[in-house]
Amino acid sequence: MEAGGGSDVRDILELDQGAKFMTKDALLNDNKKKPIRKSDISFKRPEGMHRELWGLLWTDNKDAPPLIPTDTNQGYKQMKAKIGISKVRPWKWMPFSNPARKDGAVFHHWRRVADEGKDYPFARFNKAVDTPTYSDLEYQQHLHDDNWTRQETDHLFDLCKKFDLRFVIMHDRWDREKYSNRSVEDMKERYYGICGILTKVRAPQGTEPKIWAFDAEHERKRKLQMTKLFERTQEKIEEEDLLIAELKKIELRKKEREKKTQDLQKLITAADSNIDSKKADKRQTKKKIHLQQKFKEVVNPDQSGIKFADFKASGVSLRSQRMKLPASIGQKKMKAIEQVLEELGIEFNPMPTEEVVSIFNELRQDIVLLYELKSALANCDYETETLRHRLETVAPGKSSTIEGLSSLSSLPETPVTPTETTPMLVTPNMTPESPNSQQKLAEAIDVIGSAPGTPNRKRKAALEQRDILKKITKKL
Amino acid sequence: MAEYGADSGGRVKGVTIVKPLIYGNIARYFGKKREEDGHTHQWTVYVKPFKNEDMSAYVKKINFKLHDSYPNCNRVITKPPYEVTETGWGEFEVVIKIYFNDPNERPVTLYHLLKLFQSETDIMLGKKSLVVEFYDELVFQDPTVMMQNILQSLRPISMGSYKHETDFEEKKEKTKQNIVSAKNKIQYEIQELNERLKQRKEMIQKLKDELSKVDEHINIEELVEAVT
Repeated sequence: MEAGGGSDVRDILELDQGAKFMTKDALLNDNKKKPIRKSDISFKRPEGMHRELWGLLWTDNKDAPPLIPTDTNQGYKQMKAKIGISKVRPWKWMPFSNPARKDGAVFHHWRRVADEGKDYPFARFNKAVDTPTYSDLEYQQHLHDDNWTRQETDHLFDLCKKFDLRFVIMHDRWDREKYSNRSVEDMKERYYGICGILTKVRAPQGTEPKIWAFDAEHERKRKLQMTKLFERTQEKIEEEDLLIAELKKIELRKKEREKKTQDLQKLITAADSNIDSKKADKRQTKKKIHLQQKFKEVVNPDQSGIKFADFKASGVSLRSQRMKLPASIGQKKMKAIEQVLEELGIEFNPMPTEEVVSIFNELRQDIVLLYELKSALANCDYETETLRHRLETVAPGKSSTIEGLSSLSSLPETPVTPTETTPMLVTPNMTPESPNSQQKLAEAIDVIGSAPGTPNRKRKAALEQRDILKKITKKL
Repeated sequence: MAEYGADSGGRVKGVTIVKPLIYGNIARYFGKKREEDGHTHQWTVYVKPFKNEDMSAYVKKINFKLHDSYPNCNRVITKPPYEVTETGWGEFEVVIKIYFNDPNERPVTLYHLLKLFQSETDIMLGKKSLVVEFYDELVFQDPTVMMQNILQSLRPISMGSYKHETDFEEKKEKTKQNIVSAKNKIQYEIQELNERLKQRKEMIQKLKDELSKVDEHINIEELVEAVT
């Protein structure tokens, strides 16, 4: 018969086992460890490890088992608690007193015999709050409040002590027959106010004690807000979501507009520098100034337009490759270039000498700039229209007072004010007809596709936007 | 070809040699459709130097890739004249690939749309040949020493005067003039548009200012309303 079985029998027969109580260690371990046989140097299969696994580990090259120790000393075997071997520790029905109680009441409960006579273990969880007390003198000198009578204050401190500052309970137990109704915040305000004053007053001379601050106003507001938030109706929630979404949209649009303005400024700078470079070129050829280098640096900050591939690498290439348009410029610009070239009567692939390639590339860069200017102008026109209509709706008649606006909308082509650069631009090798009498090249470019939406739709959107903004400001 | 080995002196940095060339085709109408195969034209597609210089010094071979319907459509020409003469009835794109003697240089590819038909009466009747040719330039960037030597001492191909069907000098001048005058026009328009754009920008700013003023006004009114 096995050892375990034997102990059971002995237990049943109430044969004394030497009053051995169970411990966790004793439960989990046999305590009957076999002495480690030192003579056996070769590694043994750990107890519980499958034979097959051991074979894989051990039979290959006789390596040492893993260096990191495992935390069980049972090998691979699942630990099993061995219960029922020894006697249970006896329990006894006994009286006890709770030191946390002031009344000395005695109750009974079941307890281990070994723990008899010890203190009630849960008594230490009873924490009492130290509430301050005040004397009559202190009250008269410092604690007087028009809102609170002495009796009411005393009642408050009574409750504080009784319920250990659990203000919600205190609020519930407040004597509403004697005193007026007080909110939790009112109570807290009074209590912490008194605490603060007392600490200040009682502090030794010259020291500045730290005081608990209770912002009753803030608390009242916070609770009010929470209540409001909780009491919203479904429609109100939906409306709010809608307004927030619209606000986001408006902000997004605003950002977009700002970006557009920036782009516009860039474009104008590019066009300015383009014109300047033209001037500079003229001056150079006229006066042959040796400042050529300097001009070249100042001008061409970054040419908007086309980035032609650099042919700096060694090797043979065809000149005509250097006027190939990069694929990155996009369909619209490509089309614009073709339209203008056609209008000008210039081959798409002119005879590629070095000079022709360079001026042809410059020409197409200028065309792209022209295209960009034109589409920017179209966008500006739409924006002007939109703004004008908005102004007209909010302040009728106002838009006409703005100088030049009416002429802008009635005359699509504003004549350029003649500047000192104009005569230089009309060069002798130019075609006899002046550019004004000819059809504008820019007209050949089709930018309608790039202008977003119709002015009408935009105007409506702008009006809606205003309404929403108004609503939001009202909400706030 | 040991003299053009991979280490034939390395590349000469900063040197650029330009060799202009002409490519294209001539075509002549038979006057009628040929019975046996339906062909209507005889044509010659060619590559030749623009100047009177022997290209074979630096060109190893030129491959003319004809339409797939021609027997062995890859025609390799190793010495001048670099041309292929065929008969046919249709136009197609000829891919011309120029290989160089210097193994360091990658081949260069030209595309030529073979032209047979034109509306001029004499050509239509087959009395005159149709010539369609284009100008391009081979740009040798940083050639090897060997290549530089070859390119700088080319022999003429013919003793007499050397000229092309098309007057490329005249064409060049005309093209240049056209582009320059076009550039001037565009410059003018850029300036004009720029001025207008600036005006518009100012106008937009004015309108925006006005609007924000009005908005403020309205907001104040609303506030007053709310207070009273």
